[in-house]
Amino acid sequence: MQSLYVEGNSVMHRLSPRLKLLSLTIFGVVLFVSGNLILLSITVLLTAVLYRMVGLPFADGLRRLRPVFLTIAVVALFNLIFNPWQEALVPLLRLSALMLLAATVTATTSITEFIDEVTALARPLERTGWVQADDIGLALGLVLRFVPEIVGRYQAIREAHKARGLKVRPTTLLAPLIILTLKDADNIAAAIDARGIRRHVS
Amino acid sequence: MSTRDLVLTALFAAIIVALGLLPPISLGFIPVPITAQSLGVMMAGVVLGARRGAIAVLIVLVLVAIGLPVLSGGRGGLAIFASPTAGFLIGWIFAAFVTGYLSERLVNHQQSGLVQTVSFFLTAMAGGIVVLYAFGITYLATVAGLGFTKAFVGSMAFIPGDVIKAFVAALLGRAVMVGYPLLPSRA
Repeated sequence: MQSLYVEGNSVMHRLSPRLKLLSLTIFGVVLFVSGNLILLSITVLLTAVLYRMVGLPFADGLRRLRPVFLTIAVVALFNLIFNPWQEALVPLLRLSALMLLAATVTATTSITEFIDEVTALARPLERTGWVQADDIGLALGLVLRFVPEIVGRYQAIREAHKARGLKVRPTTLLAPLIILTLKDADNIAAAIDARGIRRHVS
Repeated sequence: MSTRDLVLTALFAAIIVALGLLPPISLGFIPVPITAQSLGVMMAGVVLGARRGAIAVLIVLVLVAIGLPVLSGGRGGLAIFASPTAGFLIGWIFAAFVTGYLSERLVNHQQSGLVQTVSFFLTAMAGGIVVLYAFGITYLATVAGLGFTKAFVGSMAFIPGDVIKAFVAALLGRAVMVGYPLLPSRA
């Protein structure tokens, strides 16, 4: 699976991931305090410039933002029907600026950096007994490893249905898919334990 | 969490991601195609129970946040959380949890298949619709400045599709209960 990270050496690439995530959080909070249209417009422009600096080709950069921007625009339009235009414009600008900065952080932070950051964030939670920080990387790795497997298995089950002249329905396809996939869990768990990957589990 | 539970949640998260990659499933009796990821959230609850189901969904959201295009239509990245509908995404975790919690308590092996299916349907409705929309609508009303009533009315358009998904999730929950029961050994 291709990540949304973009190779590059811009200012944003060089900033520490923790600083970027912290800034994004603070930025999000500050945005929702301000309702000044001019200030918000300037913020959108600045974040757009920042996003441009990532080094994505223009069309690619737009294509990535389209689904999110579409939702923001649809809600703004819906808003416009009931409220004066200023009240519809404020959330449009706010969310656009937030979207642009968030997309910039995503494009300039690699998956490895992110996983390190999530793991570091979960480390203090270990004392509560809820989570073992190292398990997070393991779980994420497992998901990525098995997605192609599951898609392949889905196609195999569909072919088998077709070959037998059965109707292809979600209820008949998904049940065997889920049961077959979850039945693997015991073997995978045994393999993980045999290799001693989770050392904290005795 | 045992290694088996860790693997089960990861595998289910992978199923939810895969559901986003598959072409939309058409139901046959209804012309509307089902985008299956929110179905995956209800299924996580009815198949895995409260804790494991919620963690499976949480794993998917972490993958989104770290910049993998794992949502249907190849969407991903932190920008998704800037969308006015992000409340529905956050609500997924609680939807799976409530669906799972109620399933663990309402459904058992002594019941007939019909009772199991109906119970699963009700739990999927409670978690996947009531709880999910409570989060989604509240967020939409606040962040988009829509106000509660308008956000509520605007979201109603998606309810019929979700009722169908709850029904499919109930059938699947029952099928997995027969084929490979996981609910009783709740984590």
